[in-house]
Amino acid sequence: MRGSAKKKVTGGKLISIRVEFNGSIDKIEIMGDFFLHPEESISYIEESILNTRTDEPEDALAQRISNVAESKKIEMIGVTPEAIASTVKMAIRNGMESNRA
Amino acid sequence: MEWRVIELESHDAYLNMGIDEALLEGIRDGTSPPTIRFYTWKPSAVSIGRFQSMNDEVNTERCKSLEIDCVRRITGGGAVYHDQKGEITYSVIAPEKMFPEGIRESYREICGWVINGLATIGIDAEFAPINDILVKGKKISGNAQTRRNGVLLQHGTILYDLDIRTMFGVLNISREKISDKMIKSVEERVTRVLNYSNVTQEGLYSALLSGFVRGKDYKIGRLTETEEKRANELSESVYKSKEWNFSR
Repeated sequence: MRGSAKKKVTGGKLISIRVEFNGSIDKIEIMGDFFLHPEESISYIEESILNTRTDEPEDALAQRISNVAESKKIEMIGVTPEAIASTVKMAIRNGMESNRA
Repeated sequence: MEWRVIELESHDAYLNMGIDEALLEGIRDGTSPPTIRFYTWKPSAVSIGRFQSMNDEVNTERCKSLEIDCVRRITGGGAVYHDQKGEITYSVIAPEKMFPEGIRESYREICGWVINGLATIGIDAEFAPINDILVKGKKISGNAQTRRNGVLLQHGTILYDLDIRTMFGVLNISREKISDKMIKSVEERVTRVLNYSNVTQEGLYSALLSGFVRGKDYKIGRLTETEEKRANELSESVYKSKEWNFSR
């Protein structure tokens, strides 16, 4: 299944997620007008979400992103681990709904 | 430390981005001085942020028919339409240690140079974190920064004139972004120098230059042959490539 979602982070930037999933997340793209330093570290964030179960609770997913941001010394500006996690969840829900329709 | 200032010049989008990255490398290697450059985009162009999707943000077919270049920047942030006659872009490339450690604080410092420049032509602008400059609550300048290998690069645009029709035609404006700010259109949240001053584009450049060099040791200079060669290489191998521009 495929799903996508967009969210404007309060006081921050726009985040856009595309996922492919089948019980767990097989593919993810995080896009938007936020800032991430160093920029190449977006791949670490994406990797931390890959292969997670689609029913993983949102706060656990946010914690996973937060952990990788800390260990890789990633600075996020205009976006937060919580915002990424909640947009990923929204993209999964959107994908499931369009699959049911 | 003495700054090199490269006066207003025009290049295509790919070379403009190639020059910025060549200077990042040059400063990293200790072969380039801290540099402030001013430029316009010839032909007009759209640049997108490092993490944006070209196809989501830009009407690339429309750009092609209007001969507008499309390029992905090395920096984050949003999509920008760079009208050749409608704006001036600057880049500041220098060792990180010349600036506050925090990225947010260094945005404030460099945006302050833009604000000082606008003040010399009677425009009262203010910094709006994270990376915008506003006049009477409307955006007149967007800015984006990256840091790598101990070097800071910040580039930004100052809107002089605004071809809203073309801008609307080439950018796919996201509904989410507009609705969040409780506004109906881009027109209501963006402004331009010509709304507040009858200065020419050249006059705006002089104003910005004075704001940027205030209190600094500087000399007017140009790219070295080595920098120019590397900028052309990056332009051809990275910034013109589909792999880079359509990577998201």
